[in-house]
Amino acid sequence: MMFSKTKPWRRVAIATVAAATVATLVGCSAQADEPQTDGEISGKITVWTWNAPGEGLRAAIPAFQELHPDVEIDVQDVGNPAIWEKITTGMAAGGSGLADVLNIGIDYMGNYAEKFPDQLVDLRDFGADELAAEFPAGAWKSGSGADGQVYGIPYEVNAAGFFFRKDLFEAAGLEYAGIETWDDLLDAGVVLKEKTGASLFSMDKAGTVGDSAGLFELLINLQGAFYFNADGEITMNGEEGVRALEIIKKANDLGLVEDVPGTWDNLLITLRGERDVATSSSGGWLSGVIESEAPDMAGKWGVSPPKAVTSGGLTGAVNGGTYLSVPSSSPNQATAWAFINFALGTLEGQQLVYDGGGMFPGFAPMLESPGFVAPNEYFGGTEVNQIFIDELNQDTPVVNYTSDYARALKAYVDAQTRVLLQGADPQTELDAAAEQVAQATGRTLAE
Amino acid sequence: MTTALKTPVPTRAEKAQAPKRRRSSAGYPRITPYLFLLPMILLFVGFKLYPYISAFWLSLTKNVGGDVQFAGLANYTRLLQDPLFFTALGNTGIILLVQVPIMLVLAILLAVAFNSAILKWRAFWRTSYFVPIVMGLVAYGILFRALLNTNEGFVNYLIGFIGIGPIPWLGDPMWAKVSIVIAMTWHYTGQNAIIYLAQMQSIGGELYEAAHVDGASAFQRFWHVTLPGLRPAIVLTVILSTIGTLQLFDEPYVLTNGGPDNATLTVGMYLYQNGFKYFDFGYASAIGYALTIIIGVISLIQLRLFKEKS
Repeated sequence: MMFSKTKPWRRVAIATVAAATVATLVGCSAQADEPQTDGEISGKITVWTWNAPGEGLRAAIPAFQELHPDVEIDVQDVGNPAIWEKITTGMAAGGSGLADVLNIGIDYMGNYAEKFPDQLVDLRDFGADELAAEFPAGAWKSGSGADGQVYGIPYEVNAAGFFFRKDLFEAAGLEYAGIETWDDLLDAGVVLKEKTGASLFSMDKAGTVGDSAGLFELLINLQGAFYFNADGEITMNGEEGVRALEIIKKANDLGLVEDVPGTWDNLLITLRGERDVATSSSGGWLSGVIESEAPDMAGKWGVSPPKAVTSGGLTGAVNGGTYLSVPSSSPNQATAWAFINFALGTLEGQQLVYDGGGMFPGFAPMLESPGFVAPNEYFGGTEVNQIFIDELNQDTPVVNYTSDYARALKAYVDAQTRVLLQGADPQTELDAAAEQVAQATGRTLAE
Repeated sequence: MTTALKTPVPTRAEKAQAPKRRRSSAGYPRITPYLFLLPMILLFVGFKLYPYISAFWLSLTKNVGGDVQFAGLANYTRLLQDPLFFTALGNTGIILLVQVPIMLVLAILLAVAFNSAILKWRAFWRTSYFVPIVMGLVAYGILFRALLNTNEGFVNYLIGFIGIGPIPWLGDPMWAKVSIVIAMTWHYTGQNAIIYLAQMQSIGGELYEAAHVDGASAFQRFWHVTLPGLRPAIVLTVILSTIGTLQLFDEPYVLTNGGPDNATLTVGMYLYQNGFKYFDFGYASAIGYALTIIIGVISLIQLRLFKEKS
């Protein structure tokens, strides 16, 4: 038999190769894990986030495990912005391969919630709506669906932080506290440039690395507007938007804007004073970054609320935030929710997360807790957190990112590049950008 | 076991079957070749054919509030009215017309140098020119970003010595295109040079000897012997480079992010933005199919042109 002409061993070998191939291909789609619906809190969950917020969540794990000893939590630094592509790909693939807890930026939330509505768990199923009253209404709303579905619990709620170099202002003989509006600020910038050589702002003028729209978003926000209004109509070319871009153009024409490619390294260079730039506007989280990354600059940086655009206007603005969400594909939703609920919905968890990562929380009991507002020696005894709490308490507009934020942002940055590099007219360029967004999205321009 | 050593005497019936048995030579069943091909066929169907069909279907749909709806040719008509798509197409065309000729001429010169008998450490040179092709995208991006940085970049530092600059390599619409061309040339020239080098090995030495006897100069030998001999390789590299450039994504993605002001936006970048930034998968698929058609038409034209000349 062994030497017969049909050589069965060959057939066996061929069949094995073929079967193995089929099995491999079929195996790709054969994940038969049923979502755990009985609500038992045990097993292993993974969390996708990036560096600093990851540190915060890790800090809450030991206390959580005391309550639920059987749970294992793996917090993974996927990196930002890499995490967005990873989540998008996973959602487009029907939820395949996603972690159990996703850290999602406010600017992506609308897109995920609108384009993949079945992919995120409506956390009302777990009673998340009870937490609503503890968070700022605007931040809560941006993590919710049109019919009140709760897709994410606010992790960070950022107010705008306006950081300035006290030493440079003093060297130029300027009194920072006396500056009231952005026009005053630009006047001061001219003196500052003359006396110290330092620029007032830094920006990636070409917009080829970062999105470089931070200053615009702050300025339009301070006037109570954004790219879109609450109804989702396009407002980026309204009078507030045009005024914002005109201020940026004026600063650039006066030579007050340093062209710095928008990388993290370059940000650190300016924060450490290796290249002198007198101000830096960002989310409140930057205070922690400055403190830890530029220890030698202690006492030289100051922090304040942003100046008003027009006299008596808003001096507070929302500057983004992030959420924790659970994808529907997670086989262990109950445990994922339990961890989110502990980390963000209890004072104990919030305290651990804040101490671990420094993300500015939105949880009211945390903001009101003793010791949260304390003088910060690095910033010359300023009560930094009080500034941000006051900003969030101002009547700032609900920032409607919509599902088309990324498109509007890109159109804006291109318009800004034309204004900064070629001296184009702000109104013309913003009209063109708004038109482009309208054409691509089917949204209407606000009257 | 001993019976196997005997030569079997074919019976009449077996003789009659002989032609049949020869077809399934050496005793393999007819299905055998297909079984061997099966893994490849399955992989092709799973990872090529299915995506092709799926993407085509996707290009006929749009996402309305999470629902995928059939939209007919709406994405294609939108494409024809989209100024950004034509910007991307124009940029890709400019880079194609400028970069591919520069690169291929350089590659031919390099190949001649690699082939030269007087060149020392030939293997080293060939390897070092080929290495860029295997360099990872991230390392590539970091390297060129560092080199072309306006304030601290090495390139501006060097040209500063001869009094030029500083040039805003990545921050100016025109220079950004130049940067992409430089980076692509660095990335792909070596690969083309290796293809030419391989082709040169097939040019008979007697042709050069004959040319030499006839008193042809080195340049005349290159022009009348080497270049015609390289013809098949040139046709191949022109078509491959054209297709590669039309699909250009890596360089604008890592160096300029398509900017400034869309000056280096390519069709590949625009497809990526629509798919993975704006989650507009239907439109992105339509861009992909439009690109496929464009590549098909251009390749066909090129093949025709080369055919007529020969």
